Amino acid sequence: MNRKTLILATGFLIGVIVFLLLFTFQVRKSEVAVVTTFGKVSWQYTEPGLKGRVPWPIQKVYKFDQRVQNFEDKQTEGLTRDGFNLITSVYVGWKITEVTNFFPTFAGYSEPIPEAERNLERLLSHAKSAVFGKHPLSDIVSATDNGTNFVAIENEILTAVQTELRAQRYGIEIDFLGIKRLQIPESVTQNVFERMTSERKVLADKSQYEGESQAAIIKSEAERKAGEMMARAESEATRIRGEAEAKAAESLKVFNQNPELAILIFQLNALESSLREHSILVFDPNTPPFNLFRGVSPNLLNPK
Amino acid sequence: MERNLQKNGLINAVILLGIGVAGFVLARYANSLAGLVSVVFIAVGLLVAAVSWFQMRLEDSERLERLELDELARRHSGSTLFESKDSEVFPAQRSREQFERFFVPIFTTVLCIGQAAAAFLLWRWLAQPALSVEVKQPIMPMFFFGFFFFVLFMFGRYSANQARLENDRLLRPGAGYMLLNAYLCLAVAIGIVVVQAGVPRADFYVARGLCVLLALTAVETLVMLLLEMYRPRVKGKVERPLYESRLVGLLGQPEGLVTTAAQALDYQFGFNVSETWFYRLFVEKALAVLICLQILALFFSTCVVFIEAGEQGLLERNGRPVSPPLNPGAHFKLPWPLDRVYRFRTQQIQSFEIGTTPEAAKEESKVILWTVAHTKEDNFLVANRLGTSAEATNTNNPDGGARRTPPVSLVTGSIPVQYQITDLSAWAYNNEDAPSLLEHLATREVVRYLVGADMNEIMSLGRLEAAEQLRQRIQAAADGQKLGAKIVSVGLQDLHPPVKVAPDYEKVIGAIHSKEAKILAARADEIKTNALAEAKATNIINVASANRIRMESDALAQAALFTNQIPAYQAAPSVYVQRAYLRALSGSTAGARKYVLLTTNTHDVLQFDLQDKIRADILTDVGVQPTKK
Repeated sequence: MNRKTLILATGFLIGVIVFLLLFTFQVRKSEVAVVTTFGKVSWQYTEPGLKGRVPWPIQKVYKFDQRVQNFEDKQTEGLTRDGFNLITSVYVGWKITEVTNFFPTFAGYSEPIPEAERNLERLLSHAKSAVFGKHPLSDIVSATDNGTNFVAIENEILTAVQTELRAQRYGIEIDFLGIKRLQIPESVTQNVFERMTSERKVLADKSQYEGESQAAIIKSEAERKAGEMMARAESEATRIRGEAEAKAAESLKVFNQNPELAILIFQLNALESSLREHSILVFDPNTPPFNLFRGVSPNLLNPK
Repeated sequence: MERNLQKNGLINAVILLGIGVAGFVLARYANSLAGLVSVVFIAVGLLVAAVSWFQMRLEDSERLERLELDELARRHSGSTLFESKDSEVFPAQRSREQFERFFVPIFTTVLCIGQAAAAFLLWRWLAQPALSVEVKQPIMPMFFFGFFFFVLFMFGRYSANQARLENDRLLRPGAGYMLLNAYLCLAVAIGIVVVQAGVPRADFYVARGLCVLLALTAVETLVMLLLEMYRPRVKGKVERPLYESRLVGLLGQPEGLVTTAAQALDYQFGFNVSETWFYRLFVEKALAVLICLQILALFFSTCVVFIEAGEQGLLERNGRPVSPPLNPGAHFKLPWPLDRVYRFRTQQIQSFEIGTTPEAAKEESKVILWTVAHTKEDNFLVANRLGTSAEATNTNNPDGGARRTPPVSLVTGSIPVQYQITDLSAWAYNNEDAPSLLEHLATREVVRYLVGADMNEIMSLGRLEAAEQLRQRIQAAADGQKLGAKIVSVGLQDLHPPVKVAPDYEKVIGAIHSKEAKILAARADEIKTNALAEAKATNIINVASANRIRMESDALAQAALFTNQIPAYQAAPSVYVQRAYLRALSGSTAGARKYVLLTTNTHDVLQFDLQDKIRADILTDVGVQPTKK
């Protein structure tokens, strides 16, 4: 291939590409296309493939994504039926169902899809606040219903928006809707924090005083047990003492041989025991043996 | 000829103006970022062309003035009136000098500031995350920017040749900008072609490149201004216009670069390399062939596609899917723009997080605590059985009745969700942004689950079960939307109370430990009390047992003693009694104080102080420190 042929081939190739780009266009499986001739809709394509066209400015091609579009609305604050403020946002999956309705409605805008979503957001906002206003907070937040009311609320909003969309004939349809955010305003959040703190304080105090209570019970139980042991020991000691008394009593008949002497001996023993410490005694000089201070008996001094 | 050049300069300015306006409208309409940035270059070129045209006019006026004066001087030779060199005699010359002395430096300074400011502002504008990079109606801007290239190139080339042939320094700046703008328009058109070829950000990258080029021209203008201050002025030497950019001239006429390089080679090697057969064959003649081959190679390279490991590709022919997803490896296809391949990471496990907005500075922390926010965390509403029950809230507040606290608490945390694409066609064709939809669905399931779950349960024993239940719910939701994705895992490990109340949760744990400590202390006390009581009880019993033995043996001993005392008593009753009495008295009163009142004829008064005495040991035990001498 000489130089000239090569240049010609390259030029031809570029020409073919430019031709293709100018006189044809592709519609992807995910797209729907509308062709206008001098502004009037002349063709619409929903099936993928290569399509022909006359170059701009005679014909213009508008392509739209016909897959499900995701849209999340702004977080908005509203009231529940029982008067609680709630910040909510929902997401929807919507798609173009009738391009003949969609195109004339939104083709005038530089960005048709965002414009359609702006319209959708208005409808969503209205339906959302209306539905949430019909339900108390406990329908939304509840540890008992396993999210049944939650789904019901979503369905109510979806139904309301779908009805409105059909009436408006935008050429779009909502496939699904879900609640994405549920929050409470910042000021209320602080109050919830305070309540959560109080709940925790209740639990902390409960643990603390339960501990003290149980400790007191354990101590008391220990005291009771100790008391019981002492009481049992005392009674055992008394019983032993009784047995001892009974045993000792067996010896008492010996003393009955001479009770006077026995009593004297017992008295002397008692005297001895009682005067053992810290006693002060005042004696009469007649008291033996202190009677000796009065003099010795003459009989003893002068024995016969 | 001067008139022609002047006309040429004016045409250049008008063309730049027309193309600038058309390019701006077109770029705005098509949302071509590169097109918009290229309009700034066209505007700069327009200003430079306008100023150089004005300077041409001043020089032309000066030339005419000089011709007229020469003619008058020739007619009135000898008259001193026309021999004067004063400036008032040459107003056009004076105007031109004033223009070059004041206006040109000021204009160049303003131009430099404008270029720098435009480069900075455009770069910042392009850095906006919300900036749309989608080129609309790409055929039209591609066509028109190609046309602009053609017009600017033709006129620019003509002007550049004119400037070189006529050696006109003032036509050169405008011509340079014309050619540069022609190439920039071509770059914009090629960028849009690449966008069409499947690189949606190509236009954006071209715009970024043009911003860098604009900044370079600003730097060059600044350097020229600085050098101008130190440049020696040689009288009679033709000066280069200060606003003429060498960089623009070089880029506008790249063949000049080749010539310069050839001259440099000649100088380096000592002979004319540029005249050798090798240089002429391969550099000059083969250049066009090389470019054509490059274009053909580029075109036919689009017939092969390499799918990387972990990826799958969707092959579309004229927009219609033609085969099952392409697996990793090399694949043949029809060239662009007929066949196009869209790549997806299908084998890779991808993830996103719910409930947090990552913050790079905080994510570096290696310790994650409840009490320290490690990301920007969202609060989720969660049910709470500890609070007032839902039923009680409703029944007590039909409409306007006394309101009770709602049974809600707040919980934060990041919930990572990992997923894998299992059905590429479903993933690519059922939703315009499948990752975003999956994130919506997962967030919705988390919100729904939390508002129906008890906070204390999911933060303790119910955590694993909750994670599995959430995974199943998200999987069901994804299947419901035919996303073609498998949810690999959902993590609830970082779920915790909000940072503001987290310390109170830790206090509860502290209280539980304190409770246990108190109970254990009481247990220890119990053991001590019971042990001591047991010992004491044993002691009492032992003492009683000892006393019993003592009492019994004592009784027996006394009985035995008495049995022996009876014969003694019977032997001498009175003596025995006295002896026993005295023995007992002496024994028992040995340590007692005794007072014996001997006189009998007096009345004695005895006073007894029966109060307790101070114990002797107290006095003896108190130590008295000796005084220091």
